[in-house]
Amino acid sequence: MPVIRINFARFSKMVGANREKILDRLPYIGLDIESVDKDSVRVEYSPNRPDFGTDFGIARALRGLLGKEVGLPKFPTSASRISVSVDQRLNTIRPFIACVTAAGIRLDDEDVRQIISLQEDLHNGLGRKRRTVAIGIHDLNAVKPPFSYKAVQSSFKFVPLGGRKAMDVGSILSQTEEGKAYGPVFAGRKLYPIIADAKGEVLSFPPIINGEATKVTSRTRNLFIDVTSTDRKAGDDVLAVVATTVSEAGGKLGTVLIKHPGKPRVTPDLAPTELPLDPNLVKSTLGMDLTQREILNSLARSRLGVKGKRALCPRYRIDLLHPVDIAEEVALGYGIDRIGPVYPPSRRPGLFNTFEEFLDSVATIMAGSGMIELMTFELTDEKSLYSKFGRSSSSRITVQNPRSIEHSALRDALLPTLMAALSVNVKSDYPQRVFEVGRVFARTKEGVSESWHLGCLVAHSHSSYTEAKMYLESTCRTIMGKEATTPEEQHWAFAPGRCARVSLGDAQLGHVGEVRPESIEAFGLGVPVSGFEVNLTQLFELLK
Amino acid sequence: MSSSLHPIERKILSTLAPIGSLPFDSLVSKTSLNEDQVRRALQWLSSKGMVSIEENRQSRLEVVRTPPELVLIQKVVESPRPLTVDELKAQFGSAEEFSAAFGRARASGWINLEVGPPSLVRVGDPKVSEALNSLLKSVSAGIDEKSLPSGQAPLVADLLKRGVLRRVETRSTKVTLTESGKTSGSISPHTAGTELIDRLTPDILASGAWKGKSLRPIDVEAKAPRFYPGRRHPVRDFIQEVREAYISMGFTELQGDSIHPAFWNFDALFIPQDHPGRDMQDTFYLDGLSDTKMSRTGTVANVAATHENGWKTGSRGWGYRWRIEEARRLVLRTHNTVLTVKALSESKEKETRVFAVSKVYRNENLDYKHLAEFYQMDGIMVGEGLNVRHLMGFLTEFYKKLGMAEVKLWPTYFPYTEPSLEVVGYSKAVKAWIELSGSGVFRPEVTVPLGVSVPVLAWGPGIERLMLMRYGLEDMRALYGADLSWLRNRMEFARN
Repeated sequence: MPVIRINFARFSKMVGANREKILDRLPYIGLDIESVDKDSVRVEYSPNRPDFGTDFGIARALRGLLGKEVGLPKFPTSASRISVSVDQRLNTIRPFIACVTAAGIRLDDEDVRQIISLQEDLHNGLGRKRRTVAIGIHDLNAVKPPFSYKAVQSSFKFVPLGGRKAMDVGSILSQTEEGKAYGPVFAGRKLYPIIADAKGEVLSFPPIINGEATKVTSRTRNLFIDVTSTDRKAGDDVLAVVATTVSEAGGKLGTVLIKHPGKPRVTPDLAPTELPLDPNLVKSTLGMDLTQREILNSLARSRLGVKGKRALCPRYRIDLLHPVDIAEEVALGYGIDRIGPVYPPSRRPGLFNTFEEFLDSVATIMAGSGMIELMTFELTDEKSLYSKFGRSSSSRITVQNPRSIEHSALRDALLPTLMAALSVNVKSDYPQRVFEVGRVFARTKEGVSESWHLGCLVAHSHSSYTEAKMYLESTCRTIMGKEATTPEEQHWAFAPGRCARVSLGDAQLGHVGEVRPESIEAFGLGVPVSGFEVNLTQLFELLK
Repeated sequence: MSSSLHPIERKILSTLAPIGSLPFDSLVSKTSLNEDQVRRALQWLSSKGMVSIEENRQSRLEVVRTPPELVLIQKVVESPRPLTVDELKAQFGSAEEFSAAFGRARASGWINLEVGPPSLVRVGDPKVSEALNSLLKSVSAGIDEKSLPSGQAPLVADLLKRGVLRRVETRSTKVTLTESGKTSGSISPHTAGTELIDRLTPDILASGAWKGKSLRPIDVEAKAPRFYPGRRHPVRDFIQEVREAYISMGFTELQGDSIHPAFWNFDALFIPQDHPGRDMQDTFYLDGLSDTKMSRTGTVANVAATHENGWKTGSRGWGYRWRIEEARRLVLRTHNTVLTVKALSESKEKETRVFAVSKVYRNENLDYKHLAEFYQMDGIMVGEGLNVRHLMGFLTEFYKKLGMAEVKLWPTYFPYTEPSLEVVGYSKAVKAWIELSGSGVFRPEVTVPLGVSVPVLAWGPGIERLMLMRYGLEDMRALYGADLSWLRNRMEFARN
């Protein structure tokens, strides 16, 4: 989740409240406080509220909550007389563009920092790492309208932002950092999008990099902002967020005529969106018998307007989809901390899950036998699972792109993770007797099956098959009053001749034995280890 | 007092009584016990203050061999006639030994050489050798090194170097009866122990031989061997507490698989298919596995339409083209709401409370506050008329049961709940409010496609943070690190 830094001195002036009040109320508009220092607070915001990507947007919301400035914020626009023609060949590449101008702006360093941080967050969030949406911010005075959004070949040349010499598009993609990071969106393409002015000066090569010509500095007074996208709605949403933020920062917004072939339109459209205001839904969702006036006042504090039976939502509120969202806006404006909790007593008794109860009683028996219960990870490394037991990994179940190789394969048995656990305890007192009741995974024809196993290991200088079998038999007798039989059988974890299958009638439940010396060595242990593993899911089915 | 003594102890006391003090070896021979028995009994007696044990380290000199020059002069003196050099030489085992001895004897003036032919060896000043002789005699007589005349120190050093003398370290243990030992030990060894039983045996019990006798008291303060009881895992203990809290509030426990199609983990919860949380960076997808049987019919079709345009839910939807392939991918569940939602979809109950305490999985690098698999204790409450205040009421009560008296509720965002609340609890350790749980009222976009028409309250808290606070730990990895020393020695009732 994105994080932004708010400077107290600056922010206090923007909202008209002191540091203490600010820190107390930030959580009540849905912001998580990450850290606080003398001068500033870092807050985490959810990407569904991109308007919180600058202190301008947060101040706008907080002024509402504190009652300093309520109701629908206004964003006046006038026509800029600038147009952008759109090349039809971009239809299959990056078809949509939406623009706005902002005149008479004076940005200080902190303003610039806030807007750049918003741009980055939008690129990563709604923009899905620029794949879906990209934003370009330009010095309007450096170029000459009208502009064109056109398709060019890889040999097309211009000076990219931060560069001195003209480069062709192909080189920008293969040689610059931005090209390498975002270029893959054009994999297999022969044409590329460019925004250029009337004289051919390049504003941007979206979503890769801007042109050097329109670089924004502290002397820039008039902005031109382009938003290109593969999804028109996402592009328009992003432009709304940027335009309303720039407006808060003092820019006078100007609309731009977008000449899509056959369907020209004017951007941005900052008219409020509407959702039904259903007072009964509000009351039933919040459990509060609010008056009409309370509802209206609360919505005003959430910066929403009301027209008849409809709630008017500022265009940047892209998170409001359903009338129930309006109910939450009422709750926030009213103050979540003013809504008191009510405990709903249950009319029915609670009920434990019988299988969980079974697992729990098995574990209790094992602990009662003097064993320490372990809880190891289900995702482990292939070495512990396979090569340390000298067995094939052909039926392994792995996850895609694991961040850590230590947690990349799902275990099919408990013995490997228990052995790994013993291997980190070689300095602890022996004898060591451990067990785990845990989930294991197995490949099937349909996919993967899951079951619960009981695994047990006994490690000390005299550990033996007989001791392991003693614990196995006592556990079986205690669980079900029946004896399991133990015909000799081979198993990957145990030494031949010191290993048996655990059977109950026709059912094969698991194995018991002395761990092979090769595996004891592979796990770095210096004492004999014996143990057993049985399938509790299967046993539970048998006992039902 | 004396009745609490072991027979061996009493034997030792009575042996010491007449003399008051004896070396260890004499004690062994006089009591006719073996060394181990005496040693053990002395340990007991000394811890009771009845004897004092004094260990002495001593070093004394010992003559290893007669110096060759002394051998040589002996031969010269004892010979009835003057010997030639060759005759003398013939009486030594080796030429080197002879020349060393001859050289030394001559240099110190013990002998004179009368130049021949033949060259004869005559006695010089035999007094000169007396110093050496008397030193060797003193050493042989066992006179302490410190008592030797101080002028002999260089000679001693020279002889030690030459291996004529050696220094021997000896240790001797002297046992002395203390005042309390004297009074306690005044018992005849004859009568000691006759009325005491060392150990009850089945035979003694059967014969009644114990009657009229007492059990020999033992040292009840002596250390017993170390033993580690079998124990449940602390995480499991905590889970048990959580389950009991839920049951006491009328919830039914669910259990289910860890692997599900992305449909149930994400789509059914109105999480759009390109949501960053669905990325491989955050979610574990299984290599090469998917639910190929899933088709866009029934619930799946309802959910798909809700994503695209809101379907009949009254929502705008997300406004994108939904793909079945994405929904079919198998994932390790990223939350347990997948279990409660599936149960809801199957039962379509109008009033129910269910919970599951199970593992969830996230593609994370492990560090002190992130694990790739951890526990969540998700629950839902379904019922006509349920609202946000009931959610608040439940969560407040639930956390009170788990020992968090001070919780606050803050607004937050999840794609599948509206309103959404975050539960934070005050941690005294870090002096801050920390996140405990996400919660909310399921959106109509979630419930309506599943055929549920009543409000559903839902929450999905983790357990690890609460556990760290309880155990005073800072690193989540410690909980699952399988550190036997912690698992064995942690205090069962230590609570932070």
